[in-house]
Amino acid sequence: MEYNNTLGLIFSENVEVSLGELMRVRSLAAVPVGGRYRIIDFMLSNMINSGIANVGITSGYKNRSLVDHVGSGRAWDMARKDSGLFILPPPETMDMGGRIIGGIDYLSGAMSFLYRSRQEYVMVTDCNTICNIDFEKVMDFHFEKEADITVVYTQVPNLTEKELEKHILFDVEEDGRVKDIQIYPKRQKSDCSYMHMFFMKKSLFIEMIEDCMAHDEHMISKNILLANVNRRRIFAYKFDGYKKKIDNIKTFYQFNLELLDPMVRRELFGNREGNNIYTKVKDSVPTKYGKDSEVKNSFIADGCQIEGTVENCIVFRGVKIGKGTVVKNSVIMQKSQIMDNCDVENVIFDKEVILKGGKSLVGESTYPLVIGKRTVV
Amino acid sequence: MKSKECVAMILAGGQGSRLGILTKNIAKPAVPFGGKYKIIDFPLSNCAHSGITAVGVLTQYQPLELNTYIGNGRPWDLDRNNGGVYVLPPYVSADKGEWYKGTANAIYQNIGFVDGFDPEYVVILSGDHIYKMDYSKMIKAHKMAGAAATIAVIEVPWEEASRFGIMNTDENMNIVEFEEKPKKPKSNLASMGVYVFTWSVLKKYLIADENNPNSDNDFGKNIIPQMLNDGNKMLAYRFDGYWKDVGTIQSLWEANMNLLSENPGYEIDDADWKIFSRNPAAPPHYLGASSRVKNCYITEGCEIYGDVENSVIFRGVTVEEGAVIRDSVVFPGAHIGKNAVVTKAMIGTDAYISEEAEIGSRDESAIEDFYNTKICSDDITLIGPAVFVDKGIKVATCSMVTRNVKNKSKNAKAEQKSAKGSATA
Repeated sequence: MEYNNTLGLIFSENVEVSLGELMRVRSLAAVPVGGRYRIIDFMLSNMINSGIANVGITSGYKNRSLVDHVGSGRAWDMARKDSGLFILPPPETMDMGGRIIGGIDYLSGAMSFLYRSRQEYVMVTDCNTICNIDFEKVMDFHFEKEADITVVYTQVPNLTEKELEKHILFDVEEDGRVKDIQIYPKRQKSDCSYMHMFFMKKSLFIEMIEDCMAHDEHMISKNILLANVNRRRIFAYKFDGYKKKIDNIKTFYQFNLELLDPMVRRELFGNREGNNIYTKVKDSVPTKYGKDSEVKNSFIADGCQIEGTVENCIVFRGVKIGKGTVVKNSVIMQKSQIMDNCDVENVIFDKEVILKGGKSLVGESTYPLVIGKRTVV
Repeated sequence: MKSKECVAMILAGGQGSRLGILTKNIAKPAVPFGGKYKIIDFPLSNCAHSGITAVGVLTQYQPLELNTYIGNGRPWDLDRNNGGVYVLPPYVSADKGEWYKGTANAIYQNIGFVDGFDPEYVVILSGDHIYKMDYSKMIKAHKMAGAAATIAVIEVPWEEASRFGIMNTDENMNIVEFEEKPKKPKSNLASMGVYVFTWSVLKKYLIADENNPNSDNDFGKNIIPQMLNDGNKMLAYRFDGYWKDVGTIQSLWEANMNLLSENPGYEIDDADWKIFSRNPAAPPHYLGASSRVKNCYITEGCEIYGDVENSVIFRGVTVEEGAVIRDSVVFPGAHIGKNAVVTKAMIGTDAYISEEAEIGSRDESAIEDFYNTKICSDDITLIGPAVFVDKGIKVATCSMVTRNVKNKSKNAKAEQKSAKGSATA
């Protein structure tokens, strides 16, 4: 893999996201998804698969599980001599009880990483838009258009008013130039929804960030993109592949269950050479299915022991599901145990939850029940 | 280099010819086992857990797969600033160059490597057994007894004892006699191929053995009998865990099946003694709506839509709808097509079984060209790595399929071409 002259910057937090119980003990980036992954694995893998091996991750205070998970970056082949993976310190304003309003506030902890890195360009992304994207294509597009900033978008037609509250839409001209930006609009005037990823020269990025900080401005979309839409050449690169933004329990649950679709798995976990999704390896044994197990349409990680019935579920590593137990439409995280003769439907179990024998837990398919880490029910 | 108390040497150069097509292109220790492992993961993980941090792996036969697999030793925590794992192939020196002539000669040729760590003891291991063992306890016993050599032994059933190297001991477990495959065994303590030697003593014997032109340069045949003859203190160290030689297709199949039994005799899923392996990046496995899975071991990257029972399925295997797999071991990346039937078989890495094909068939119309009871005992059918079995083909039970099996082509040209291919093969 040839390295690009680009550094990566990933936001591990997002002020607009709330995953409730799942984020009580960890940052957004470290939330477990998809059987054996954490949210950040997808973006870190996208980075390394696109030749970006020098990556900074902004962090808040609840970063223990994030630091534990990414370690030296070796799982993503980022433990290199001349680059690597850096967890950037939380912004100083957090010390002083200052509020985090937008992405720019996290960057005060990232400035020295930006100054010191020798790469000329920067790819900046959120961590919670799950996709398998080739950033080299974004870079090629950027240079071809001689853009100042290239933003990534995806086409999303027919958004409801409620959904629009979370979308940033671009008016994109035929040649790809962004003419206007609407942040959380009331009416949908464009199908082009921002994916919270952009590419630009590092020097320009630093300059813009410093300007924003000096003017007490907080939001990247508003104060960097919108503010420069007429002054700079902002171009939009269209991404066609599978993507899912995880921003609340509902979308978290949806994303996990969407993995049961073979097309989604193919797009997300690699359909060409060199776009694997990497994660920290745990050396679990294979999963053991018992003599009476009945498993249908489920995505199951290693190290589980399954004796009961499992349908439409995402099961993480080391989960035990007892005899006579029926688990449906649920997300069961690492090392949780559901003992014998239980009935579980539409539930999200965080890590190491124990459900004692004979219990019944049922949530709504539109509003799954979430059981916090290490709860014993 | 800082000295080490103990260096481990793993003999991994064997061909394992009784594994037939499985070891055509790879050495026996590189043969896959138990869903996500290779045989060599067991001694390497045992070393890591036993605190042995200097390990030499002696390779000779088809070493490429093993070399790339071991790499820098990181999966076993054996990438060390001081020590770590080293792959040691035979080499050419200024005055001569030769292959490893025997197990003892392999160590002899690497005296320089061992001396580099200036160890007190050296542990000699073979890379073809499945077991979990704490070598540090054995080294301790060796040290306490002040022995020159300590040999791990395991009780085997009396009727099988004549297949093993048998140690006859006194009441203090001192070895008084060693018999290789005795017709009338006096003891049922079989050597496990795990030795601890006091290095200074072993080195002397290795040099003497090398200077003996009549020697086979083998530990079992030469070094150990010679040391016994000379009256060295030699200890038998009893091991009572699970230990399985996987030198034949039948024993390899059994060892895999054993994982599925209620009581496998050892805990492979043991957080304190994990078997480490090199894990490729693969998503969790998926069981489709039409799948039926009972009593199985299944690992990452698989997509299962068929019916699988009593089987061990390795990484990245696809089982299509309607396929039926029973009592089988399916190696990494293999593909089992729609409605194919696989019964009591081992399907090689990346093999492709087309739809409607039947492996391990007892049907009269089944192809018997590959019948091979020498390798495939106990009705096991073996499909070689990357072998393609065409649509609807029935392969008779007890076969070892070593090349692609295609239906007679309607296209004469293609037929000619494939005939040519097999003539040159």
